[in-house]
Amino acid sequence: MTRFGRRDENLPDLMAEAAPTAMSDAGMDRPDALVVAAMNPEEFTGEGNYGSLLGTRLGLSHVPAIRVETATSSGVAAVYAGYAAIAAGIHRSVLVVGGEKMSHMATPRASEIIGRSIDAHERSYGTTMPALAGLITRALMHRRGVTLREISQVAVKNHAHGARNPFAHFQEPVKLEAVMESRLVADPLRLFHCCPISDGAAALMLTVEPRRVRIAGIGQGADTLAVRYRTDLTTFGATQAAAQAAYRMAGFGAERVEVAEIHDAFTPFELISLEDTGLVPPGKAGRATLDGETAVGGRLPVNPSGGLKARGHPLAATGIAQLVELTWQLRGTAQGRQVSARVGLAQSIGGLATNNWVTLVEARR
Amino acid sequence: MAQELRASRCPRCRRIVVPPASLCPDHPVKMEAAVLPPLGNVVSFTTLHSPPEGFRAPLHLALVELEGGARLFCHGAATDGVKIGSRVSVEAVDSVFYFSNMGFTDRARLFWRRAGARGERIAAIGKSVVKGVWNRRPRGQD
Repeated sequence: MTRFGRRDENLPDLMAEAAPTAMSDAGMDRPDALVVAAMNPEEFTGEGNYGSLLGTRLGLSHVPAIRVETATSSGVAAVYAGYAAIAAGIHRSVLVVGGEKMSHMATPRASEIIGRSIDAHERSYGTTMPALAGLITRALMHRRGVTLREISQVAVKNHAHGARNPFAHFQEPVKLEAVMESRLVADPLRLFHCCPISDGAAALMLTVEPRRVRIAGIGQGADTLAVRYRTDLTTFGATQAAAQAAYRMAGFGAERVEVAEIHDAFTPFELISLEDTGLVPPGKAGRATLDGETAVGGRLPVNPSGGLKARGHPLAATGIAQLVELTWQLRGTAQGRQVSARVGLAQSIGGLATNNWVTLVEARR
Repeated sequence: MAQELRASRCPRCRRIVVPPASLCPDHPVKMEAAVLPPLGNVVSFTTLHSPPEGFRAPLHLALVELEGGARLFCHGAATDGVKIGSRVSVEAVDSVFYFSNMGFTDRARLFWRRAGARGERIAAIGKSVVKGVWNRRPRGQD
């Protein structure tokens, strides 16, 4: 994967930086197929037909290529497409590449394009992702007793992890007071509770041949596009359904997970997601965070990469980057932030939790 | 009082949505027209300090649940005094919904109108007074 952050390169160049590393790491230079993830390159970069565009850019013009999209979880959707093609016996190896390029735009414009994944009626009220996250955060605080300190500690922890990840957008720690006093974005959500707008790309080579790390389970969950059609703001049904599907496929449950990469686009989402995936009992995620249980060195390290908050969130790159991090962690090559784990879980949120994924990866003995 | 709100109901699961939709979100079934009283409770609310183009900051937004469970997004003039669970009235102006926090007298008038028999009226006024006092009590910060 590339370093995430403000990058001068264009999107095909970023993807072309990430892809060869994944191929050479797997000892391959030509996959049977290519799956590309990009959420909205037409509007961010002005270019489309990304399957063919990237194939040609990588010198793989004659390799069958498709593009996959499920909003901000597109990266995992691409992994799923590649995994399914291999499981079905259609291909023996698939190169999965995801990325986004957004930082060349003014933030309100980038934010507006990301917001196109929100229901049109709700969008007509000026709801953006931060606005909906603000509503959810207030409900979480009121109904579940989550505190400002707890959602702020998630940012502190993930920045501390990001400071140890050379691929992270933010590599500086932040203090709890700085997070709690940062400017209000969507009351009660503050700036340091939100992930940045990042550029970057990530790639993964999937193969039918046995390797050190395998995908043990992959599950998708869906929910209504309209947030007003849901009865509960404080859990994401799409994550719960995805987690159940992934655990069922893997044949084991949350008890075997020893490291997790969670979609903390807004820090309260890390707390919600830890409970939705069953990694932490209901109502305990805030306390577990304050107690250091979810930090590197704790009982269950969460987002050792820095998460979306500190590693950054180049939309379609994120789901793949989570799995790259877990692969490194399970192989024991996550220098500076290595945890001890044999099973990892990645959770990715598409849109405002309309299309979520949970993936379980396992190190072979 | 503001006008009733146009909604639609699923004939299969009885789910009600606002504004009316052609198909139920949970079933591929044509929805039937319905109307709802323009009153509800605040599910959550926020103030957006950097709203998207075409909106002025600060933008006050609330998600309101009407009787029957339909939820809708509303704009508001302010969120001062609004809490989760606050009773609000909803009005559509040029098909945009606005919420307004119901004051003590609004609530009393509403209960008076709704209560039928005399005994019920007195109970309703009592409830309204209690609710007014309850909503004004000081609370700690979230």
